[in-house]
Amino acid sequence: MMVRPDTQLRTIIRAMTEVVLPAVDPANQMAQEQARVVVGTLLLMAERLPLQFQFDRDELQRLTDFAEQLAGVASGGPRTSDLIIRLAADARAGRDVLERAKADPAELVDTVRQLRAVAGAVVDTVFADDAAASCRDAVWHAVLTMSRDQLLRERAWVLPQGFEQDPSSLPSLDSLLGTAAATG
Amino acid sequence: MLTAEKIPPRGHDKNAPQPAWIEHLRGRYTTEREVDAILTRRLGRRAGPGYAPQSLATLRAGVEALLRDELDEPFTVLDTRWLTGGASKVQMAFTLDWVEPGVGRTRTPMVLRMEPAESIVETSRLREFQLIRAMRGVVPVPPAYWVDADGSHLPYPALIYGFVPGATKPSTATSGVSGLGINFGPALRGPLASQFVEHLAAVHTFDFSGAQLSAFDVPQVGTQSVEWGLNWWARVWEEDCGEEVPLMNLAAHWMRQNMPPADRICVIHGDYRAGNYLFTEADARITALLDWELGRLGDRHQDLAYLATPVFGHLAEDGVTFLASGLLPPDELYEAYEKASGLTVDPRRLHFYKIYNAFFLAALTLGTGYRIARGGKTHQDVLVAWLIGIGSLLLDEIRVLLEKGF
Repeated sequence: MMVRPDTQLRTIIRAMTEVVLPAVDPANQMAQEQARVVVGTLLLMAERLPLQFQFDRDELQRLTDFAEQLAGVASGGPRTSDLIIRLAADARAGRDVLERAKADPAELVDTVRQLRAVAGAVVDTVFADDAAASCRDAVWHAVLTMSRDQLLRERAWVLPQGFEQDPSSLPSLDSLLGTAAATG
Repeated sequence: MLTAEKIPPRGHDKNAPQPAWIEHLRGRYTTEREVDAILTRRLGRRAGPGYAPQSLATLRAGVEALLRDELDEPFTVLDTRWLTGGASKVQMAFTLDWVEPGVGRTRTPMVLRMEPAESIVETSRLREFQLIRAMRGVVPVPPAYWVDADGSHLPYPALIYGFVPGATKPSTATSGVSGLGINFGPALRGPLASQFVEHLAAVHTFDFSGAQLSAFDVPQVGTQSVEWGLNWWARVWEEDCGEEVPLMNLAAHWMRQNMPPADRICVIHGDYRAGNYLFTEADARITALLDWELGRLGDRHQDLAYLATPVFGHLAEDGVTFLASGLLPPDELYEAYEKASGLTVDPRRLHFYKIYNAFFLAALTLGTGYRIARGGKTHQDVLVAWLIGIGSLLLDEIRVLLEKGF
């Protein structure tokens, strides 16, 4: 998918700084100030967005360590004991999430792109190398089936842009991604 | 687009293309010489700076420099102002006080149409200039005055043509960006549709043999024009895409295996749709056909399929009937076209060119749009990035058409 926030933010910042800001009424101080804060916020987002996942994962790692340490040293009455049991359980849940959150989002996107590239090359070779008709048919149907499912998600992703003639014909993005998660 | 060598080696940077890769692409995708030259120039400059915002004063100075080379008599450039030029080109309106040959001193409203550093549609200003000139007297087009084909005088290549009154949509109409989905309303549709069809018929039946179209290669009747077109857009896709789309590979193979021979070679507008012509609302008259930059010599079915591209039309008030280019159902437009042109409309070739057009539009939006928006190459990066969102609709159109078959 090529519509990604990093590209969008980059272009929005450029439009704001090169086109919109110079056209904001210099006498309207509130508009001037807010426009500059918008740009500053967008710059911050553009710089930090790629690190958001690592930051959250790092925070979970530290909090899990801290929770385990706290559960080990804290003691007190029944109310404290109950909370320590709950804290220890949450720390175990944190470890489980950390275990399942090892790959960085950038690695995931890179892997998607590599799979796309090699899959595309396989399609090329199958049709260029005079493969058996049955093989071509199978590849043909596999590509079309995968594309139908993938494009439903991509269209649902950009639905708010208003390009769809019949928006009601598209399943919601939530349901599509939920289905994907449920079916693996 | 036929073997695994299409995968660039890891570490290959399309934003800084190496000469060997450029030459590889040129050899792989044979197309018209001017198209090849423009695409090659684009890649050669890609690692260079992005688009630098230009002031009206800079463009005015560039126009003056160009006109000093072109005009013998004194002139003055007046009233410069910006025009919205869509996602593709930078446009400045101005008035020229000059001595027009055969007229004498006069003031003429004009438009400067200039490329950004890279355009979502990278094309030749010389071709556009020649085609507009060739069409003068055939269909309503602006008078094309001068061209700065390689940006010798202006910051980037540009042409100057006459300012034509009119608008691309009714004053009360809503539409998406770049003229997508313009709703003309029931009253305007009929009169505009008849002119829309008649002008297209005139373009397609124009005898170009005597026209000055030196920047165009003339294909032989048969599959040469479609092959040149396929190579053009397959090359653009390979040069620009940020990630592969197996469906594009499949579509390219299908098209190469099913290239329909053209029964005659016509002038093709290449971008014939709502939003690319001006009309005056009071009399519902089309005053100028614009945006000839994708024009070429080829099969009329390219234009005929294009005008019915779903993203360029919308549903009528009944919520069911699709209005091609916001005017009429496709079949009614084609019936009118056959009457106006005396040429037939072949459903099989229409089907092929629907896939061809969706392929090239997907290459532009998903490929070039992505590449140049990230590179900061245009005056409209934010709009170009917005248009990437159309890509999935275009890909789905390809999928549906491939599944449907002829």
